Amino acid sequence: MKVTFNWLRQYIEFHWTAEELAERLTMLGVEVENVQKIGGEFEGIVVAQILTRSLVSGSDKLSVCRVQDGKGERQIICGASNFKPGDKAALILPGYALPLKAGEKEPFVIKVRKVMGVESHGMLCSPKELGLAEEAEGILILRDDARVGQSFAEYLGRAAGDVVYDLEITPNRPDLNSVIGIAREISALTGNPLRMPEVTVKQDAGAPEGAQASALRVEDLVAVRIEDTELCPRYTARIVRGVALGPSPDWLRNALEKIGIRSINNVVDVTNFVMMEIGQPLHAFDYRLLANVGQASPLSQSGGSTLATMVIRRAAEGEKFTTLDGQERTLTSEMLLIADETRGIALAGIMGGRNTEINAETRDVLIESAHFKPTNIRRTSKALGLRSESSYRFERGADLAICDWASRRAAQLILETAGGALAAGVVDAFSKPPEAKQIALRHTRSAALLGVDIPADQQTEYLHRLGLEVTTQPGIAPTTGVRTPHSTIFRIPSFRVDLKREIDLIEEIGRLYGADKIPSTPPRAAIGSNAYDAVHDEIAEARKCLTGLGLHEAEGQTLISDLALRALFREREDRPLIALENPLSSDMNVLRPSLLPGLLDSLRHNLSRKNERVALFEIGRVFVEANGQAQEGRRLAFAVTGPRYPLFWSGNDRRASFDIYDLKGMLEEFLEQFGLRGVSFAVQPECRGPYLESAAVLLGGKLPLGEFGQLLPAIAKQYDLRDAVLMGEWDFDALLARRNKARSFKPLPAFPSIRRDIAMFVTERTTHEAVLNAIKQAKPQALEQVELFDVFRGQNVPAGQKSVAYALTYRQAERTLTDAEVNTIHEKVIAHLKQALQAAVRE
Amino acid sequence: MSFVEEIEPLKEGALTELKAASDLAALEQVRVRFLGSHGKFTALMKQLGSLPKEEKPVAGRLVNQVKVELEAALADRKSELELKASLPKEPTDFTLPGRRRPLGKTHPLTQVTEDIVRIFRRIGFVVADGPEIENEWYCFDALNTPADHPARDTQDTFYLNAGQASSLPRSAPQSSQLQPAGKMPPRLLRTHTSSVQIRVMEKQQPPVRIIAPGRVYRRDNADATHNPTFQQIEGLYVDRGVTVGDLKGTVEHVFKELLGDEVKLRFRPHYFSYTEPSYEIDFSSSLTRRMGKDWLELAGCGMVHPQVFENVGYDPEIWSGWAFGFGIERIAMIRYGINDIRLFYENDVRFLRQF
Repeated sequence: MKVTFNWLRQYIEFHWTAEELAERLTMLGVEVENVQKIGGEFEGIVVAQILTRSLVSGSDKLSVCRVQDGKGERQIICGASNFKPGDKAALILPGYALPLKAGEKEPFVIKVRKVMGVESHGMLCSPKELGLAEEAEGILILRDDARVGQSFAEYLGRAAGDVVYDLEITPNRPDLNSVIGIAREISALTGNPLRMPEVTVKQDAGAPEGAQASALRVEDLVAVRIEDTELCPRYTARIVRGVALGPSPDWLRNALEKIGIRSINNVVDVTNFVMMEIGQPLHAFDYRLLANVGQASPLSQSGGSTLATMVIRRAAEGEKFTTLDGQERTLTSEMLLIADETRGIALAGIMGGRNTEINAETRDVLIESAHFKPTNIRRTSKALGLRSESSYRFERGADLAICDWASRRAAQLILETAGGALAAGVVDAFSKPPEAKQIALRHTRSAALLGVDIPADQQTEYLHRLGLEVTTQPGIAPTTGVRTPHSTIFRIPSFRVDLKREIDLIEEIGRLYGADKIPSTPPRAAIGSNAYDAVHDEIAEARKCLTGLGLHEAEGQTLISDLALRALFREREDRPLIALENPLSSDMNVLRPSLLPGLLDSLRHNLSRKNERVALFEIGRVFVEANGQAQEGRRLAFAVTGPRYPLFWSGNDRRASFDIYDLKGMLEEFLEQFGLRGVSFAVQPECRGPYLESAAVLLGGKLPLGEFGQLLPAIAKQYDLRDAVLMGEWDFDALLARRNKARSFKPLPAFPSIRRDIAMFVTERTTHEAVLNAIKQAKPQALEQVELFDVFRGQNVPAGQKSVAYALTYRQAERTLTDAEVNTIHEKVIAHLKQALQAAVRE
Repeated sequence: MSFVEEIEPLKEGALTELKAASDLAALEQVRVRFLGSHGKFTALMKQLGSLPKEEKPVAGRLVNQVKVELEAALADRKSELELKASLPKEPTDFTLPGRRRPLGKTHPLTQVTEDIVRIFRRIGFVVADGPEIENEWYCFDALNTPADHPARDTQDTFYLNAGQASSLPRSAPQSSQLQPAGKMPPRLLRTHTSSVQIRVMEKQQPPVRIIAPGRVYRRDNADATHNPTFQQIEGLYVDRGVTVGDLKGTVEHVFKELLGDEVKLRFRPHYFSYTEPSYEIDFSSSLTRRMGKDWLELAGCGMVHPQVFENVGYDPEIWSGWAFGFGIERIAMIRYGINDIRLFYENDVRFLRQF
């Protein structure tokens, strides 16, 4: 919300600069988001009249003048000669700056100075100095009707300087959506009294043209019928007849325009002004457009029966209604309408209707000042997508008690700005004014919570300044809170809808005392406990392993596109996805069931920026529907593409690209270091889901942890990826559950080992795992380790076969093995390999 | 020439040749020529036996001394030449780039989270966690933000399509009053980590001392300062006699650890439905001044609202506490001078390697 410095000062006295005020409000919880100085370029420049003029002794050009600035006389030295006593001119006072002109960086500030021994207390300005002309001879001579002492800006018809504050009003404080509301806060801070504008209205004094001399009463003109008092607990109506619709006077137009409200006409502007002033939204209807009133001089027939009836009712389901903005809207029976006997005329608390709006022909105005149930206004406003200054205030909670005051204030200002006559009285449909809330405050409680001892009477004083009154009658039961011998009961003013219980009062005390004055106490020692704490560390440990392998950690979007997901997993994407009901776009319409789409997006991003070598991992949550329940689980995923090594300048394999064994190596190293034993790999059919070739990763031979493989080239192409993309995804929760964190020391071997190599031809179909199994089947004693060190195809290798070479390490823990012993064991292994694998062992 | 007189010239000759040998092969030839079995010096030594008895001691001592000397010189020259032989033909260019095997880096958001976690753990906090898919009870109602509360406007929520059967657990008795029996409560993505507060308090009795980092979601279009997914960290402390002073003291401690001792903090009264009094925390440092601002908003905090305690079954007359929360991205952006939040989710390796 916007307020201005000058507007605030109409209701409260304070002695702060514009900047100080911003600081004070901010620290009070009314955050000033922006401060804008407006007008003011002629600050300190006033209309002055030259009284006398004579030459400075010793000069033939400079004259010394006595001028009247409206407050008193002062002596001015002037070098111009185009004026005479009696002329009026623009005088800039010492301490003020001339308007900045193009090319100037520092404003020129006028000071009291001596010229040839004579003091000059200001300067008479030329049009050039005022920035009003490029070149000028002599000073600017003003029109005769210029009022001495008037600000020069005002003389020019420009708005005087002011400061506009853009305030962030928190949703709990609807009372601050008004200038008086802010002034009340300043009053509480300073202790200076709030000056409410005096509202006195002459009721139907000067009878308007065409009206009868006898005073008309408003109840003769209109009746109010509230059909749903829950949604509308109060409705007041006043009528001003015979207004002269026209533009608003400058003060009104300026006041509104400064805070960003467009001036429309004097009547509408008044309703807006009062809303901004006190926070009560008002609506003005053209009375003559109401049903039963008609155009034919209705006021003359006011013999007895009421002419119009304002009906506050729910709309009929599907009822059509055209709001002020020209939009036709379809209403539901949950929405509240202001209607006359025949049709809707305003969407209650949100926007008036086109059919009864103030227009150029309007003569008689009905002022509505009512109260509506906040939740209903909010729902209607949301449902229709229609928000207004009015709905904004009602949905947060307006002041039920201020309706009549605001109505009178509007009537007063309409009479002042648009003339006319006010029908006597008010129709105020207010079935049951609610009891004021009474809240008990234990002063010790505030000290206990705030952590500072504020004397009880000081606490009471703070609340008193905010408009809370101490209830002294004994026996009164507070609405909420505990009544103890040391508590005080406060009556809550109707505008403070946010004050509901003791803690709300404590907050107010803390606010006025000043958060900055509450002493900080050092952190207290205590030990917290939560099962997740250890898991957090385990995840951190996994990250440490993975980054050590050269993978960068990625953070992908949780929200992804279902189309991209299906394009990636193809026929396998049959997981029940969790979709957003209100997605921002189709690019982000489901929760990710896999981390891979995000990683591929990141790969694409990197490649498009010529980062060719990309190796990423992510540990993150995925979401699927399982048995009608949302299931969240943690996953680990890798994706790598591009050169295996950063660019280097020598070496045979320096240009090698990542291949599947790079990825598998990372996975194996990670799983081992992270404490997972008994991991095996099962080949999956080709072209399965996103993979060209892939393998399932199993724990204990059966528990699936996930899979990895090479991305189908066709899909890689869709992601603009040229090199092979190797990727995989695993169930991280399962890894956490199955990891073995226990570590124990195994003594380092005391006796030497003996290595024997085997090189052999086996068929292409013989897997490494088959070789290992065959070796195991030979049950070789003292075999410590089997390592593959070469796989070769091509020259000298028979077709359909491959050459593989293994190093077998033998060792006995308690003694040194002899060559002869090892040879015997090794022969057995070779014999078994020949038989089991039809291997041709090369001697 | 006497025997003794022959020694010195032979030695000099040998030393000169040793020095002149330019490689190990040449050196070996020199050694053979002088110290080999048919070498000149060996031959001289053989003559020793034929000397008169009275000359033998002096000559013997002299010959042995020279032999030791020559052998030492030979060894020196040999290691000199060996060293020379092991040097590459051209000297190594140490300005050439090394063969790097780059480490991966943890994500900057992880790094900031870990720093915050470490600071809190030092003062006795532990890490807690909760689901990202929530219902309105945990995300709003239990946090004193009932339906139709304007405070819900500030957190535009992603709702999820309805699940099939009875779904999320609703352990709180209050929620059954809010939701008619049998009707599925709407599911949503949590808009803040504050939902973890409720989950933790429902499960455990005070004192509570937790922090909860995690992803949260708001229905904001992505731009330089918004991403629909972002990360927060929440702190909650519940105990007997906890005051605003405690809140201030801990928050000041944490942010000074995180952002440096020179930062100034201020607590500005604000409104959050689940805390009262509530504050926004602004900070001021050389960094904010460089950005042309006196104060920059950092976090929100406050004393846990008694209604929240009542919602989880804690007695607000016995327990009080504070909570605070802030965005991880925001801290990372401030700390590293990052100007666009989207960079965190693009995973550009040039970006990731910087932290």
